[in-house]
Amino acid sequence: MCKNEKPINFKPPRQKAALDDLDQYVNMAEGRMSRKVFWERDIYEQELEKIFARVWLFLGHVSQIPKAGDYVTTSMGEDDVLVVRQKDGAIKAFLNTCPHRGNRVCFSEVGNARGFICNYHGWSFGIDGALRGMHESGAYEASGFDKSQHGLHEVAQVDSYKGLIFGTLDPAAPPLKEYLGDFAWYLDTLLDMDGEGTEFIGGCVRSVMKCNWKFGAENFAGDVMHAGWTHDSGAKAMLGGAVPELDKCAGDSYHVNVNGHGWEFNLDKVGNSATFGDKEVRRYIHEIQPKVAERLGHTRSMMIGSISSATVFPNMSFLPGQNTFRVWQPRGPDEIELHTWTLVNKSAPEEIKERYRRGTMITFSPSGVFEMDDGENFEYSTRSNRGRVTREQDLFLGLGIGTRIEHPELPGNVFQGQINEANQRAYYQRWLDFMKAESWDELPQR
Amino acid sequence: MTKKVFLIKAAELRPGCARKIDIEGGDLALFNLEGKFYATSNLCTHATASLADGEIVGGDCVACPVHFGEFHIPTGQAMSFPCTVDLRTYKVIEEGGDIYADLDEESEEAASAI
Repeated sequence: MCKNEKPINFKPPRQKAALDDLDQYVNMAEGRMSRKVFWERDIYEQELEKIFARVWLFLGHVSQIPKAGDYVTTSMGEDDVLVVRQKDGAIKAFLNTCPHRGNRVCFSEVGNARGFICNYHGWSFGIDGALRGMHESGAYEASGFDKSQHGLHEVAQVDSYKGLIFGTLDPAAPPLKEYLGDFAWYLDTLLDMDGEGTEFIGGCVRSVMKCNWKFGAENFAGDVMHAGWTHDSGAKAMLGGAVPELDKCAGDSYHVNVNGHGWEFNLDKVGNSATFGDKEVRRYIHEIQPKVAERLGHTRSMMIGSISSATVFPNMSFLPGQNTFRVWQPRGPDEIELHTWTLVNKSAPEEIKERYRRGTMITFSPSGVFEMDDGENFEYSTRSNRGRVTREQDLFLGLGIGTRIEHPELPGNVFQGQINEANQRAYYQRWLDFMKAESWDELPQR
Repeated sequence: MTKKVFLIKAAELRPGCARKIDIEGGDLALFNLEGKFYATSNLCTHATASLADGEIVGGDCVACPVHFGEFHIPTGQAMSFPCTVDLRTYKVIEEGGDIYADLDEESEEAASAI
């Protein structure tokens, strides 16, 4: 969308000044941070404005809405949105609220519609968001009502990267490509293995966790360390053995980050996939790896199913190999709605797609072996901060300070060894950058 | 009495399509249902909307583009919420390749409907 085509019917949030003395909360040079960012309401309200109302947020996958009128509903921060395929193939998104009295206009998660009619007073909107008519329209016409000024509030910018749809509520946000930057090089590892694209299968699984939204996001950005401890029993059940001690093979493993987006990985090709306990999925990874190497080079071909995890700042995460994609949707400082999907290569055999679907369900769903382990940790990491004195005590994030390296192939900031907290530090540094910046121009490149 | 007015050439409106046509005193909607032509008043009887912009559903009904209420095209009958008032229908006359409406007569289906 061109900058001069700003939606008529959209007001950005009133920008409040940044909170005072934000540096007290995050000191990444020393590797420590305040627990208050996981609990205090005024900080949370600022996150909604300074982060969620500005950055590019994940909205869905193009495969969910192939035809005109196909839609999904989701949220951007706590703003509910409706994402709709247009007649010309473009994708638009709107706040899922009627401009008349504010009622929700679409109640289902996914579907196809000719348009959206508000249940309250019968305001009817086209799939392009335009107000088409109202119940008792004659009365509005008699009072000089101009329908063209009262369409759905349109999300300022929507774009996609190799199948993943993102939107931003900020007309001044830089283009998506710039927002992803060099991180797109890593994303291609999952999104562009063979040039035939990817798809989401099996719908969206939604669950609620009583945790701060950043705990999930930072965990996926860089925390493989927890796997060998938290997931020990799960790994033994699924793999028949413990998670390897990853620091003992640090030469071939990395933390990389770009502007707060983080990916931790090693080059074992199949480690994450193995947690399904399904040898057909492992066989599939081994089979496709040589072709991926031809297209993306050897290094990325060894990342397609390896022990790894990633987060696109601020709240979209995924696990290569298990192929769970997820958004940690904030619902207050101490609650999230977790939305998850399963991504597969379009070209994969149907039987393999089904094995991925089952695999993500038994590992990373509300009843998944590993998700249950994580949820408990995230919830208590959040809840202990209700203690007024506890909340004053800083947290340690200093693991791996000094491990930065120059790498001949890997773009972004590269750190040696995936047992590290470099990506978590980069994540919270980016959080701090956004919380402080009044405009995009003030944001440093990281 | 007949008030016969020329509408369009039959070849100009394909089966499954509708068109708004200006006549004196308002618009009518002309529908081609599998080769048979039907004419009704074009304005939805519920709220301001052009039924010729609606979608033909179930073979012989039109869904209003605004609130998706439906009318039965041959008889003009209002079929579903929020529509309660029937459409006016017009008798369609085909002569050669030309389509006319008699603005003083309703459709045969409407005339014979209970």
